[in-house]
Formats: sequence, structure tokens, C-alpha cells
Amino acid sequence: MKFKDKHRFVRSNMKRNRTRVWMTILASTIGCAFLIMLASVGFAIHKTAVDDVMSYRLMNEIQIQKENGMITDKEVKKLEKIKDVKAVTRKKHTPANEFTLGDYMISTSVFSAHMPSEIKAGFELDRGRLPKNKNEIVVGYHFSEQFIKEAPESFYEGLSEEESQEKHKELVYKEDLIGKTLTYHLTPADNKDQNAKNLSVDVKVVGIGKKPTKKWAIVTDAYITDDLRKEVVNTLFEKNKNEGSLEEGYDDVKVYTSSAEEVKAVSEVIEKMDLLTYSVASELKELNLYFTLFKAGLIFIGGIAVLIASIGIFNTMTMAVTERSQDIGIMKAIGATPKTIKRIFLLESGYIGLWGVGLGTVLAYMISYGVNFALPIIIEQFLNEKPPEDFILSYIPWSLTVIAVTICMGVTLLSGWRPAAKATTVDVLKALRRDV
Amino acid sequence: MIKVNHLSYAFKIGKKEKENVVPVLHDVNLQVEKGEIVAIVGRSGSGKSTLLNLISGFIQAETGTISINGTKVSGLSESKWAEFRLSHLGFIFQSFQLIPSMTAYENIELPLVLKGTNEKDRVERTKEMLKRVGLEQYQSHYPGELSGGQQQRVSIARALILNPPLILADEPTGSLDSENERELLSFIKELNENYGITFLMITHDHEVASIAHRKVEIVDGYLREGRMLREVQR
Repeated sequence: MKFKDKHRFVRSNMKRNRTRVWMTILASTIGCAFLIMLASVGFAIHKTAVDDVMSYRLMNEIQIQKENGMITDKEVKKLEKIKDVKAVTRKKHTPANEFTLGDYMISTSVFSAHMPSEIKAGFELDRGRLPKNKNEIVVGYHFSEQFIKEAPESFYEGLSEEESQEKHKELVYKEDLIGKTLTYHLTPADNKDQNAKNLSVDVKVVGIGKKPTKKWAIVTDAYITDDLRKEVVNTLFEKNKNEGSLEEGYDDVKVYTSSAEEVKAVSEVIEKMDLLTYSVASELKELNLYFTLFKAGLIFIGGIAVLIASIGIFNTMTMAVTERSQDIGIMKAIGATPKTIKRIFLLESGYIGLWGVGLGTVLAYMISYGVNFALPIIIEQFLNEKPPEDFILSYIPWSLTVIAVTICMGVTLLSGWRPAAKATTVDVLKALRRDV
Repeated sequence: MIKVNHLSYAFKIGKKEKENVVPVLHDVNLQVEKGEIVAIVGRSGSGKSTLLNLISGFIQAETGTISINGTKVSGLSESKWAEFRLSHLGFIFQSFQLIPSMTAYENIELPLVLKGTNEKDRVERTKEMLKRVGLEQYQSHYPGELSGGQQQRVSIARALILNPPLILADEPTGSLDSENERELLSFIKELNENYGITFLMITHDHEVASIAHRKVEIVDGYLREGRMLREVQR
């Protein structure tokens, strides 16, 4: 018997019991949609957690630390030679951190960085150029936003929070910083010696870093040249001889691989060099394990709904076999093989499952979209709170759809198997005598 | 065409190991030649239906052998039996055994569908068969919308659609009035004479038995060979 004929046969049988078949499909639809929706909450939480981790750091980034002391140039050279390492960025922290221009002032992190490796690692300028001379600096994109005048007394008095924020903008430096000469005060932030402020050096802003891709990230760092840093350090230690000298080495070293897949292998090589590593990939590994277990639990619970729906399919198919026993008997008498009979009934339960899975998946996507759309509005309306940005309660990746479809179809076929097998055992004589 | 050797059969009634064995057929030997019409007659409960069911493969004998058209069919698996029935046997039942949810056309077409015949061939052959049994205008009628005679014609058309060499008929006129009975018998005779189809019929009706070339009687499970009726008539 050809598949086309089996399909025709099954379709006409399903049409005869339309209501019962549709109720069974409805049960499968609800079961499947429930499974997907429940698991989608787990997937959404997982996604949020991963996005959160990844929003701070890059997947191909490995942070390097040394247990005792700082990482030296020699070690950096070794790191650069490791296979699949794209760049090794290294920064030296500079203790002095204050810049002024007229009444405007900013305290920020100041580093001397190896700019070629920063560029290789993905550092880009919004405008301007990299420093060529000793007293040239590059500042972060938000540097000027934090470059502010001291607020006069009672400046914010009587203003609401929103009004204060608006008023604060009046204090911010509004001109383009490129080409401007700032005064760099060579005083450590924690130095209580007020006279130390007299030591300073003029620096020229030649470049401004590119706006970070993360909307919330604020970058106000300043990058000075190695020569200037040396001068700053020498000046500071000349002034504070009794406090000892700064150790030579890098404060912040990061290794960038070509892709996230290479992070594990590169980390292993670095660890063999007696260096400590930390990467998002390793953090995600543990996070993923935890969430995989969590999602598996949710899928298991959702699977119970599918099992309940499968009881409906089992009942429908058993009734179909019982009702059609005479027809089965006649077909067997004429020459239908047990295999043909079985396939017809399996096809029928398969169609019920397929409809249920199809509709259930569509329904789940609709609910998921609706929930993600409506929930922030509901939270805002009824709880008077703003949900976190990019917050989602339900997320259905294609992998979840594949898992749900496989489970639902598997359970459907299993529940249709027994009635289909029963159909093959219909006794021809009993069926012809209408005894069944 | 059919060779039955030392066939015995007993029904087992009751639970396993505590079952009662009721013998139905005892050492039956029967031979039906190609192109013959053989009538099996006997009283109710004599075992004639059981013999037909054994030859049809609906039940399996524990002792004895059956060969049809040169193939030893006793001992075949259920699947093999089904395939054999589809290709070699046609059935005419007393209560027609049409599938009520299928139209006359679909019922006649069913063996072709089971055989996997292509659609073009199927349409051609089914329409030709409908014409042959005079039911062209009833092709889209369901069995419930046809008379007993029409239903039996559908049943015969279904039995003949794959051109089987042997037709097994169980009380073929049992549900028909005398006019339809006469029509059916002349149709059987025509099929036998024009196409050489072999018929093995079960009946208790003398008129039906009268068209047979040979009559065999079963009495209490024992087969008694009758005379060649045609010869007697001549």
C-alpha cells in the first residue's frame, strides 16, 4: 500500500471522528505549548545570566594574574608567542589621577598602555589619533561628561532628583577636548599633603576612544605614554621617598584569542607558566552546567503535561481501533498485512501528534512574545517599578523547539504504538461475524 | 487448484491448560481442479465453514496440509497469508463484508490500493469492473445506500478486481432474494465459463449447489465426495 493511499485512508478516518480527533489535538497542543513555555522561562533566565556575564567581558578574553608580584615584559613576550593568541594587552596603573582645565576637573583611572596591542585587541578611536609625543594622551568616550566644574553652594537646593540631573549638565565641559591642553596633577589620590598639588604637567588630548557598544558602559579612563608615566612615577617617588618605590611590571594583562573556542587551550598553556587565568568561558562553563540541569528539570516537568496529553492520544487511538475492528477484519481478509494495518494507525497517531506539536509550538511562540511584551508594562503599571533593561521572561531558541518537538512526537508515537499493535491482532473471523 | 490432505481441526474452548477440545474436521482430503465449481454442503455445525476458513487462512490447522495453486499454504505466517490471499484469492461473503465508510467505488478499489497499483491503472480497472457488474451509476453510493443485490455485486467486483484464479464463497446467496440469487448464480457460471475462474462455495441451498460441477458433503466433520452434478444433469 502506497504512502499516499495510507494518508488518504487516515485522513478520511480522522474526518469521520472530527470532534474527538480535534479534542485530542487540542490536548497535545496544550501539552506541547506548556512544555515549551515552562522550559522557555529557564532558557530566558539562562540567557539573561549569560548576557549579563558577557556584557562586561568578551568571550575571547583571558585575564592574567600572577600569584606573587606583577607580570613582567619577559612573561608578556612569552604570552604573545602562544599559539592562537591574537593580542596581549598590558596596562600600567599610574597613581596620579587628576586632570584640570580652568575650573573643570576630573579624577579618573590613568594608565599607560601598549597601544599597538590595544588596537589588535579591538580598541578603536572615535576621533583624533594615538599619542606620538610624551605629553599626549587619549581619553575615554565619556571623559568629557565627567569633566565638570565644582558646584557652587546651594546649587542643587530645592531641586528634585530629575531637576538636579538637568541642572548638573550646566557644570559639564561642553567643548571638544581634542587639541585641548589639560593640567595633569602629579599627586596620588590618597595623598593628604595639600602642597603636593603644586606638581603638575601639561598634557594634550589627541584622541578620544570609541563609544562602547554597551549602552550603560561609562569609559572615562585616560591613556598616557610610557615616558610620561615614568616621569610621573619618578616625580612621585622623589616626593615620597620613605614610602618605597613602585614595582616595575604590568597591573592589568589580558590575552585575546582569535575565537572563544581557543580560550580553553590557551588558558591551559598559560596556567603551565605558573600564571593565574580567568575567562568568561570558564565562568560560563559552570554557569551553563547549572542552567542545563535547571532547564532539564523544567523540561521534565513540562514532559509530564505531554505524557498526560499522550493518554488522550492512547484513548483516541484505542477507540479508533475498537470502532474500526470490522473494517480491519475485512481488510485483513482481503489481503492487508499486519504491517500495513499497523502503519495506518501509527500514521493516524502521528498526524494527531504533528498537529498538536505544530499548533503547540506556534501557540508557545505567541504566548512567549505576548508575555515578553506585556510583562514589563504590567510591572510598570501595577508595581510602579521599571524592570531591568533587556529583561525577558520567556526565550524560545530553536534548540528548545527541536527538543520539544522530538519529545512530543516521540511520546505521541509511543502512545499510538500499543493501539496500532492491537489493531494487527484483530481476529478476522470475529470481525467478519461482527463479534468484536 | 486446491489440494487438502488429511486435514483435521479442533476448537479449543476455555482457558489454557484447562481447555476443552471440540473436534470439528476429521482427516479431510479434498482436491479441486482448475476451472471447477465445487459446492460444499452440509448441515449447520457440520464443519463446512471451518473448512473454508482453513482454506482461506483465517484459521490454521494443526494437522494436515493445504496447497493452493501449487503453493503449500499451511504454515504460512500471517503476513505471507495476507499477501497470498491478495494475489490468489477472491472472497464472496454472505453478508457482503463491505466497509461502510467507503463508497462502492472505494470498496471495489481496495484490493488494488492494498496491492500498491498505480492510480491511473486503478481508476481504469475499477471503472471497468463497475461497468461489468452494472453499478456505474452507483459508484459514489455507500453500502448503506445500496440494495442487498447491489452490495453483493460490489462484493463480487471487489473479489474479481485483481483477477484471482480462485474465488471462495461463503453462502453467497444467503442474504439475497430469489431474483438476485438467480442473477448472481448466472454471473458465477459466466465467470467460470468465460474466464475459467475456480469457485469453491459453501451453501446449504440446493439451487446454488446445482450450478456446481461437483458437490461434496460434510457430515459431522467427515467429508463425503458427491457425484459430478453436471454429469447427472446430462
